[in-house]
Amino acid sequence: MGIWLLAALLLLWIGLRVFGGYRPLPPAVVTLTRREYAFVAAAADATFPRGGPIEPSGCDAGVPRYVDRYLAVVPARMRRLMRLLFFLLEHAPLFFPPGGPSGLRRFSKLSPSAQVAYLEGWQRSRFFPRRLVFTSLRSILTLGYLSDPEVQQALSLTPQEIDTPICEADGLWPRIGESRA
Amino acid sequence: MSMVRVFSEYERDFVEQADVAVVGSGPGGALLAKELSCAGHDVILLEEGPPFTPADFELDGGLSMARTLREGGLRTTRGYVMPTMQAIALGGGSLVNSAICVRAPASTLEDWCGEFELEHTSRADLDPHYEAVEKFLGIAPTPDDVLGDRNLLFRKACDALGYSSEPIARNVRGCRGSGECFTGCRARAKQSMDISYVPAMVKAGGRVLTSVQVQQVLAQGRRATAVTGRVVRPFSGEPSHSFRVDARVIVLAAGVMATPVILSQSGDLANHSQQVGRNLQFHPGVAVAGIFPERTNPQFGATQGYHSLAFIPEGFKLETLWAPPALLAVRLPGFAQALKQRLAEIPYAAIWDAIASCNRSLGHVRARRGTMDPVITWHFHPDDVLILRRALWILARLFFAAGARKILPGVHGQPPEMHSLEEARVLADSELRAIDLVCGGNHVFSTTRMHGDPGRGVVGEDGRCHDLDNLYIADTGILPQSPSVNPMHTCMALAHRIAGHIAEAL
Ligand SMILES: Cc1cc2nc3c(=O)[nH]c(=O)nc-3n(C[C@H](O)[C@H](O)[C@H](O)COP(=O)(O)OP(=O)(O)OC[C@H]3O[C@@H](n4cnc5c(N)ncnc54)[C@H](O)[C@@H]3O)c2cc1C
Ligand code: SF4
Repeated sequence: MGIWLLAALLLLWIGLRVFGGYRPLPPAVVTLTRREYAFVAAAADATFPRGGPIEPSGCDAGVPRYVDRYLAVVPARMRRLMRLLFFLLEHAPLFFPPGGPSGLRRFSKLSPSAQVAYLEGWQRSRFFPRRLVFTSLRSILTLGYLSDPEVQQALSLTPQEIDTPICEADGLWPRIGESRA
Repeated sequence: MSMVRVFSEYERDFVEQADVAVVGSGPGGALLAKELSCAGHDVILLEEGPPFTPADFELDGGLSMARTLREGGLRTTRGYVMPTMQAIALGGGSLVNSAICVRAPASTLEDWCGEFELEHTSRADLDPHYEAVEKFLGIAPTPDDVLGDRNLLFRKACDALGYSSEPIARNVRGCRGSGECFTGCRARAKQSMDISYVPAMVKAGGRVLTSVQVQQVLAQGRRATAVTGRVVRPFSGEPSHSFRVDARVIVLAAGVMATPVILSQSGDLANHSQQVGRNLQFHPGVAVAGIFPERTNPQFGATQGYHSLAFIPEGFKLETLWAPPALLAVRLPGFAQALKQRLAEIPYAAIWDAIASCNRSLGHVRARRGTMDPVITWHFHPDDVLILRRALWILARLFFAAGARKILPGVHGQPPEMHSLEEARVLADSELRAIDLVCGGNHVFSTTRMHGDPGRGVVGEDGRCHDLDNLYIADTGILPQSPSVNPMHTCMALAHRIAGHIAEAL
């Protein structure tokens, strides 16, 4: 009896550690789950820490909201793969803790320096699939970071103002999703 | 009823009749549909993607890809894993491409004639067709005032090393040098098919059905009778109504990946030769970034404004390149502050690329079971890898000749940054393997190749399938192998010729 109780408590503890305790989603987040949002926010700030040659951090630059939007528009198969990627990286520290057993937490609960160390480990891995996972994550976050107007301005990458001239195609079809006037 | 139907305008299953049904509105299909409409034939152009207005363009690279490209722009090959992009939009690839229009070199076409038993595909045979396309689309060299520093630096580098180079001829009128051809030209300078051939076709009485996915060609004996398929919702692809279009002539121009899938889903149609879906070729490309001491303001300038054809005999072509910064940044090495440091260098960057003719590297396309999606397999031949190794070295030489402070070659197993030509020499000397290269391949050919021998190719020089009397193919799949240069112009010249044959046959 005692051993079963202990096992049940252990399972509960693991369950809470893996799945529980995520903060509620900020308003207007529609695609990411609580867990995914927490992971993406933490990974965004680890990948783009505040300060340095471009001031905003990943979260300052709205990366989690971008990823939320991006996930909504990619095809379902890609969306599943991205979700798997987030899940894997969020929970892998429980099995391969950075810096020993003291780091035995999911990614979003690690200290900022442990998060950086953990992702650097994936980047430097000699095992190609681990490097690939890291590159995929970094790519998604970079898309988000560079989409921020403040970051674009810091890099002189603000798109040109362009007026669209009238042409023969005007009136042949409406905007996507709208009806013909 | 409007001449261009959009998704919201289909209310029930339907059947239409026409003289000619053209599947796919990319450069091949749109041009052919316009020519036949102007010749007085009743033509229906069927396109799976939606038509875009400039207000529909998304300037953000990732979000734009998810709207205009198949599989959200994340499609890759198997075998050798490489990203490859195919558009899904009215206008096909022309909506997102850089508008580069180059005639295939005479020597390449001569090789085609010899190797694929073609009698009428020399440069002299194709020149009148190239000319007709150039006149209609206003194809002309990129003017100096919209080149911007990153294109001009390439010219300077080629001049310094004595390589020939030239401003790229493009299907563009009034370019503003916004460098955003990939996300759609808001200035409507780029003469993509949706604002050039398609309106001209409609003006001549042609009809366009958008958001319709053709799934099968119906045939009886040697005659194709109709195409059938489903209406599909933009972006999600969710199917709704069914349709059939009966036609006297059917033309497939759905692109290298989709045309073989349609044929295979039509009961292995037109495939006595067993060549449908085979012989797949790419122009794999590599890109090198150079960082200059002065700002290059890379955001300004024609997307791809300058190139060098000096190395065509060695199997590669050199070009300047720009794309949405977020997509370029994805390739930068590093993490945390080191990554930010590299991003901060973008205003000082130029990116130049090499595309290679890899006639030994072959693959195939087949339908993913139960879908219209292709499974694309391709293998990189080790001898073709050597072509790109040489190209990387030439690019390194060009950058340092133009005064670059350092280059980022983007090659696995090599230093991420090289600060001098001496350091870059490893690019020429090392044992590069295919998996060390970071390649992309957006030029694709040959899955329904043209061949004089009906046992070894899918179509003849008139574009007609050897096995059927009235089924034609007019996309880059009919190119028997690499045209050595960017393929769109040759695709359009061949489609122009095929339109003439169909008009005669009708
Ligand atoms: C980013 C990018 C840049 C490029 N830059 C250049 C360049 O500057 N110069 C150059 O020469 N080449 C360039 N290319 C290549 C060039 O765009 C293609 O070679 C060209 O578009 C091929 O034309 P196509 O008519 O064969 O097919 P596509 O342009 O692929 O058109 C096929 C059309 O058929 C539609 N379709 C597919 N399946 C179906 C179906 N089942 N039912 C109905 N419709 C269907 C597709 O949605 C598509 O619109 C570029 C390509 C890319 C992706
Ligand atoms: S560079 Fe800009 S203005 Fe010029 S054709 Fe491309 S998108 Fe249009």
